[in-house]
Amino acid sequence: MAAVIRRTLRLPPSPIEHSAEARSFAFLAFAVATAAIVIYGQDYVVPLLALPIAALGHVVSHRERNSKRGLWRQVLLVTLVVAALFYLLADSALALFGGVLPQANFAILLVAITSFDLKTRRNCYSSIWISLAILYLAAVFAWDYMFGAFMAVWLSCLFAFWTGSHLRRIGSAFTTPVRPWLLSLGSSLLLGVFGFVVLPQPAGSPVSPLVVSLPNFTRFQGDIESPALPLVQLAGDPTGATSSIDLHFRGRLGDAPVMYVRTGAPAYWRGLVFDTYGDGAWTASIHGYRELSPYVPARLMPPQPEDNLGTFVQTFRILRPMPGVINAAYPMESLYAPVSGLREDAYGTFHTPQQLRPGQTYSVVSYLPNLNAKVLRQDDVMERLPDHLGTYVDARPLSPRAAQLAEDVAGSATTYYDKVMAVTTYLQRTYRYDLDLPPVPAGRDAVDWFLFDVKTGYCEQFATAAALMLRSLGVPARLATGYSIGDYDPVLNQAVVREHDAHAWVEVWFPHHGWVPVDPTPGVSPLAATRFPSHWAGGGIARLIPHLAIGAPVAALGSLGVLGVVPVALAVGLMVVLAYAWLRRRRFGVRRRVSPGEIDLLRLYERLQRRLGRRRAPPETPLEYETRMGPGQLLDDVTSAVNEGAYAGRWPDPARVRELARGIPAISRRRL
Amino acid sequence: MASITQEALQPRRAAELLDQVEKNIHRVIVGKDRIVRLALTGMVAGGHILLQDLPGTGKTLLARALATSVGGTFRRIQFTPDLLPSDITGSSIFNQKDLSFEFVPGPIFAHIVLADEVNRTTPRTQSALLEAMGEGQVTVEGTTRVLERPFFVVATQNPAEFHGTYPLPESQLDRFVLAAEMGPPTDAEAIEVLARREHGDPIAELAAVIDVGEVIELQEACLRVVAAPAIRTYIVSLLQAIRARQDVLLPASMRAGVYLQRAAQAWALFEGRDFVLPDDVKLLAVPVLAHRLGMRGRGKAADAVGELVASLPIPPLRQH
Repeated sequence: MAAVIRRTLRLPPSPIEHSAEARSFAFLAFAVATAAIVIYGQDYVVPLLALPIAALGHVVSHRERNSKRGLWRQVLLVTLVVAALFYLLADSALALFGGVLPQANFAILLVAITSFDLKTRRNCYSSIWISLAILYLAAVFAWDYMFGAFMAVWLSCLFAFWTGSHLRRIGSAFTTPVRPWLLSLGSSLLLGVFGFVVLPQPAGSPVSPLVVSLPNFTRFQGDIESPALPLVQLAGDPTGATSSIDLHFRGRLGDAPVMYVRTGAPAYWRGLVFDTYGDGAWTASIHGYRELSPYVPARLMPPQPEDNLGTFVQTFRILRPMPGVINAAYPMESLYAPVSGLREDAYGTFHTPQQLRPGQTYSVVSYLPNLNAKVLRQDDVMERLPDHLGTYVDARPLSPRAAQLAEDVAGSATTYYDKVMAVTTYLQRTYRYDLDLPPVPAGRDAVDWFLFDVKTGYCEQFATAAALMLRSLGVPARLATGYSIGDYDPVLNQAVVREHDAHAWVEVWFPHHGWVPVDPTPGVSPLAATRFPSHWAGGGIARLIPHLAIGAPVAALGSLGVLGVVPVALAVGLMVVLAYAWLRRRRFGVRRRVSPGEIDLLRLYERLQRRLGRRRAPPETPLEYETRMGPGQLLDDVTSAVNEGAYAGRWPDPARVRELARGIPAISRRRL
Repeated sequence: MASITQEALQPRRAAELLDQVEKNIHRVIVGKDRIVRLALTGMVAGGHILLQDLPGTGKTLLARALATSVGGTFRRIQFTPDLLPSDITGSSIFNQKDLSFEFVPGPIFAHIVLADEVNRTTPRTQSALLEAMGEGQVTVEGTTRVLERPFFVVATQNPAEFHGTYPLPESQLDRFVLAAEMGPPTDAEAIEVLARREHGDPIAELAAVIDVGEVIELQEACLRVVAAPAIRTYIVSLLQAIRARQDVLLPASMRAGVYLQRAAQAWALFEGRDFVLPDDVKLLAVPVLAHRLGMRGRGKAADAVGELVASLPIPPLRQH
């Protein structure tokens, strides 16, 4: 089979790799890539399983390198590869085994399976290249300088393989030059330490990870469910129109992580927003939405806030099934999610067609607004509220004594900001946070009961009470739901968001700042932090990678529809050509000089044949063609020139070819 | 061109010489241009040829005319079942005057040897001829004697009669650079033959037009003709295609490929070319290859080779 391919493509033969040292470096390259997957991808089962298998495979390949390939073993290996491919498809579509890095798992399995069939040097090289692909997949989740070390080790494995195999080829032994090695190791360590001490540490810059996630091409179908967001009762159409958040009901919130967030700054991951309260439940009143492609560039987003500290990137990796809502920091600059399309509802929240699957990733670039007391206090009350904000000051469901309480709390405060701070600090100081809340008695208003009877509650009670009290004071407010930041995990260098991080807070409208998140829940600062912290994933090599994901171009292609195939086909074609050229590089290397007349003359010969109406058949010699086409001075001349060139190596000079070419227009087109 | 020395025979001059020889032969042989040229090709290529046809078609005449035209010595050996190897190679005779053995050369010691009806003799005698043809030397009583160049054997065999014949083994057939059939004359040719013989035999008046030295020069010129890599590729692919055919039992040997290239070089000289064209290979494929092939069943080797030549693509003009 391989021989047939090699013959058809005229590839140079690849010698059998005899060097055990070279082979061990090929294996080491794979081990390095797999280790990177384990460390950065938190994927353990397949990589750790594949490593011993690959080691065994390398030993077997080395032992049997001189024997012929057995048919049945080849069949078995092919079957296993196909099975691994099915595993990739099943795992990425259905998340059979958690859907963690299915592509990397496939590549790892591929190397492990093919390691049983590494006879020639080319085989070993292809194994090394696949391990490079694995390393690339690990890079998706890597952000620190340590990844550079993995890269360096992999590169030295490649170089060592090359050296080892060539030393073996020229019959030289592979000896370890201990002293130079130690010297270079020690000096590079010293250099590294020196660089670490001297170079300034990057901090406070936005991070931009690469995201690889298989796009999901399902369309919007209707219902979305909420197995992981017990705060919000989601039902009905995906605009969130009939979704509601009910204060009478609260699901149990566990400790299980729902997503990992790599982010340049801490923020609340906002999901659905509600504007209407009644009968103890929040609902949304505006039902419009607009359809968008999976990649939403900045130009389709609202203009950036006047006063911001820059942008930061968040990459979300979903761990458990989630409703099809993009949780992210607001305001957004751009967004990419690997789905068929996105819908933006009236509140600026993005919805995906289906629920988010485990293993799915999406990334969002958000602005970090500059919010502080001084700025917000100057952003004062307007003379008259814009009409569209009418719903946000509707405080009718609030009981009269609660409204009176709000008046008392606000006191002499005149600006939005002072009113907001008065209400939130009052709630935070006077009321107790408790998740063990008895059910709301029948017939009681949940807010009134919270404010005057139980005086304990959790985020929903605090947020609802704050929103309604602010409304009664004339401050536009609404309820936002989503997740709080989560716990920063210094090992993973990312935030782990768990079920119990589900949160509700208030968004207050400021004339020049738009909707500003305010949290009345005890234990947190009412205004979100507005700075880039240094210990969050702010530095590292991720900073060097351009904004957003490699998925974004794919999504942009997807929005082209059928035409999107063209660039992809071109790219694939280019890759195939390059690969072919690489495989045949030895032939290209010794290519003899082509005389300019040769190319010109053969091109002229082709032109003449087209002009004459019949091309030369492959078994026809130029002379036979000339005879069969009948008399013609030009054809005679060209034919003898072609014969002289092709069979005597005496190609005419380009001037002579140009002279011959002048006769072409005189030839009348013949149709046979 | 620069590599060719001043004294070397130029292709144009070679073509002139060959044309003279052809014209001279045609004073005796009527028509049969192709056969005459094939015979000369075999000689210029430095090989030996096999003429197969019925008696009286001019095989011997052609050989004689050829020998006379090049001015070399000519011997004819009529092969019979009782012919012995020493009848070909010669033997030592005791000279009573000198009281010593004296070698009397056989008819093989000539520039051109006509081996008439070569399939009538025993394999033992055939093999004596085989050594002479293959090595250009004969071994008699332990002494090896080199034959003078040019040495050119024209063998004939009669394919129609089988009684008392010893068909040539494949190994011996393989040593002929090409084989040709005279074919029946056309009516006009036959009339012309009769007309020329009305008052005697024209061969008696035939004179040499070139000498033996020029034949050797022609053979050397043949070696200088360029066969491009594309030509070699073409020949090899032709041999491979023959090997791949189902109806071929005994495929063409490597020697066949070598002869095909050499014969094509010689053929190029007739047109004054110093390089081989695929057309030369195509023209010579049947004469050079067909007689060597062993066919399954009743298949005709000439037809099989002809089919392949017509259908096999020539190598691409661009060589990289």
